[in-house]
Amino acid sequence: MSIVETDTSAATAPDQRANALVTQLREQFGDQVLCEQATLTGMPVLWVNRGVLVEVLATLRRLPEPFEMLFDLSAIDERLRSHRHGLPKADFTVFYQLLSVSGNRDIMLKVALFEQDLSLPTVISVYPNANWYEREVWDMFGVHFEGHPNLYRILMPSTWQGHPLRKDHHARATEFDPYTMTVESQDKEQQALKFKPEDWGMKRHSEHTEFMFLNLGPNHPSAHGAFRLVLQLDGEEIIDCVPDIGYHHRGAEKMAERQTWHSFIPYTDRIDYVGGVMNNLPYVLAVEKLAGIQVNARIQTIRVMMAELFRITSHLLFLGTYLQDLGAMSPVFYAFTDRQKGYDVIEAITGFRMHPAWFRIGGVMQDLPKGWDRLMQGFVNWMPPRLKEYEKAMMENSLVRDRTKNIAAFDTENAFAWGVTGPNLRATGCDFDLRKKRPYSGYENFDFEIPLAHNGDAFDRGQLRIEEMRQSVKILQQCINNMPAGDYKADHPLTTPPPRERMLEHIETMITHFLQVSWGPVLPGNESMQMIEATKGINSYYLTSDGSTMSYRTRIRTPSFPHLQQIPVLMRGGFVPDLIAHLGSIDFVMADVDR
Amino acid sequence: MAYTLTRAEDAVAADNASYPLGKRQSVEDPMKQQVHRSVFTGKLADVLNSTVNWGRKNSLWPYNFGLSCCYVEMTTAFTSPHDIARFGAEVIRASPRQADFMVIAGTCFMKMAPIIQQLYDQMLEPKWVISMGSCANSGGMYDIYSVVQGVDKFLPVDVYIPGCPPRPEAFLQGLQLLQDSIQQERRPLSWVVGDQGVYRAEMPSQREKHRDRRIQVTELRTPDSV
Ligand code: SF4
Repeated sequence: MSIVETDTSAATAPDQRANALVTQLREQFGDQVLCEQATLTGMPVLWVNRGVLVEVLATLRRLPEPFEMLFDLSAIDERLRSHRHGLPKADFTVFYQLLSVSGNRDIMLKVALFEQDLSLPTVISVYPNANWYEREVWDMFGVHFEGHPNLYRILMPSTWQGHPLRKDHHARATEFDPYTMTVESQDKEQQALKFKPEDWGMKRHSEHTEFMFLNLGPNHPSAHGAFRLVLQLDGEEIIDCVPDIGYHHRGAEKMAERQTWHSFIPYTDRIDYVGGVMNNLPYVLAVEKLAGIQVNARIQTIRVMMAELFRITSHLLFLGTYLQDLGAMSPVFYAFTDRQKGYDVIEAITGFRMHPAWFRIGGVMQDLPKGWDRLMQGFVNWMPPRLKEYEKAMMENSLVRDRTKNIAAFDTENAFAWGVTGPNLRATGCDFDLRKKRPYSGYENFDFEIPLAHNGDAFDRGQLRIEEMRQSVKILQQCINNMPAGDYKADHPLTTPPPRERMLEHIETMITHFLQVSWGPVLPGNESMQMIEATKGINSYYLTSDGSTMSYRTRIRTPSFPHLQQIPVLMRGGFVPDLIAHLGSIDFVMADVDR
Repeated sequence: MAYTLTRAEDAVAADNASYPLGKRQSVEDPMKQQVHRSVFTGKLADVLNSTVNWGRKNSLWPYNFGLSCCYVEMTTAFTSPHDIARFGAEVIRASPRQADFMVIAGTCFMKMAPIIQQLYDQMLEPKWVISMGSCANSGGMYDIYSVVQGVDKFLPVDVYIPGCPPRPEAFLQGLQLLQDSIQQERRPLSWVVGDQGVYRAEMPSQREKHRDRRIQVTELRTPDSV
């Protein structure tokens, strides 16, 4: 098998606006802008010197068409990477990905760092949501951020030794002695979890009152999984709070570095674990960019259909638990009955319920079974009257309205500052939906609307999702009516697993098949990225390939991570029941936060 | 039937004692010895024991505790399409003090393990543990630095449910297996009556039990039509 370097110059067909921007930055910062890297990420990738980083970011933030949002921030350990032609020398690279909603474009900045001097200035002053991302980079890579107010570990326990995403940190648990817990070690870990208000710059009392510190979680019925919030209370009023995450860190990014491109697919299902194949989509799309695979209209439509079906089941789960958090017992029973109907269809088509891992590099696992349209039509007919009922019974309910109207409201500006995307962003009146703004996988062929709300409160976030389900049902109907004919796998040498018929031609095809199935496909060295509008917001996979059977670095940007970071800003001055309503309305699962 | 005997430890555990605490040993059915000593009290103890066990197994209150994806399927079992109330286990408790059993539904993270232990310790006897899903059983597909390779590294597990995630039906079956095992248990009828050890029956392995029937299946339905 031969490896071809993909021709990046053609693939990144430089759009003029991007060029103008790069020229402008070069003019302003001279040779502090080191070079522009050609990638398949679809955005300009600029290497800049550490000294001007904050300034460059501030400039981009202030452009007439500003980059309002710090979309992602993470790092790469470059020490073992071999395909780095023409890039500045570096042991570690920290990258900043910015999103401009007004200009509908992205830019990525990279800074090279060396082992002896792993430190960077913090950029919290420009983008407040850098706070958690910088903590994550410190935790995972050991890069220090100067001026960060609380640079503590965020995902790993504070007692942890080492930085897991470094190439010299072990990946497997079984590389170590089996886990044991003694009375003493349990006690030690529990002590380490003890909250010390002083560490967070909090006072234990004010002039008139002594504050109470309430530990909510990591196991609390309203915390939706292993999530902890420490509240500083004056009576019922929340003075401040500190979310504490990392109780659900499954090391998915590290896992990608030792699974083949193909065998990582099941791990993506478990990122947003109620999103099913929706999670496969950005990953396989990013891999297909690396491989240079184009898929046909049938594959695209099947993917969209299954992803939208999962959007509905995910939103149903949201609706049930959101109302349950507000104290309504029965909605969850209704919602789960509908989910069951959805799963009946999903199971008939994919053979599995929650984690089908059904998309493949260059296609899907299997063609649609005969009779799928009948089942799907049944579901599509079932949903609309139910949605109407939900609206009537739940969203028009005066108790629900009182508990959620004007609660935890924020505007679009605030959403940008904290990296909020998805339905939570659209509830503030901003119509940024990637399915419309940057159609992928054939979304441009569908007729649907982007529901909006305007108050950005807990009520709008709930209401909006009911409307989104309606639109998804509409997309499903179009899939049933117009499913294109064609193959379910692309005709490309890197399609995995390769079509079986081709294997039996002669010995050469047999060997190729064997290698590709046992070792997995070898992808050319490059970088690619795909963002999609997932169930909870924008989910993206940023893949770095070093020309091997495995990914060199997989960065998974999940929407729920920034959504949780925003909580303290909204809740200061609120009451405990408002917090519960807000937690219900965010729609997060911890795997989508901690990965 | 063989039994595993766990004795309640009087003394506070030493610092270097590792979880699960308490000594375990394999023993014969204690009831048998009773019957040998006196047929009448033996029978009486047997009837009393069965009655208490019958009560226990049919009103198991689960602890509301979820870790990850498996918990969604567990919750599904509590809702109308699967209706766990048929087995008397629908009374979810948010406090460990009121719960009878804990389902480890999801991945057991190293950061979470000490907390799980604490919550388990807060539950009152009699208490049981179901390990739901591959992650809780063995680490599953997450052989990774942050995950404990099976919750039985520190908790005593009564029933393991395979799957990733197990279907809600599988969870219900696991629950019934726990009920079967509770029916066979021997526990002290009171803190002043008799032996204070907990005798858990060693239940037959489901895999071995069903193996013959399962391997007879030679033709599977094709997935090409529904
Ligand atoms: S066993 Fe599978 S479904 Fe269950 S928690 Fe683990 S990964 Fe999730």
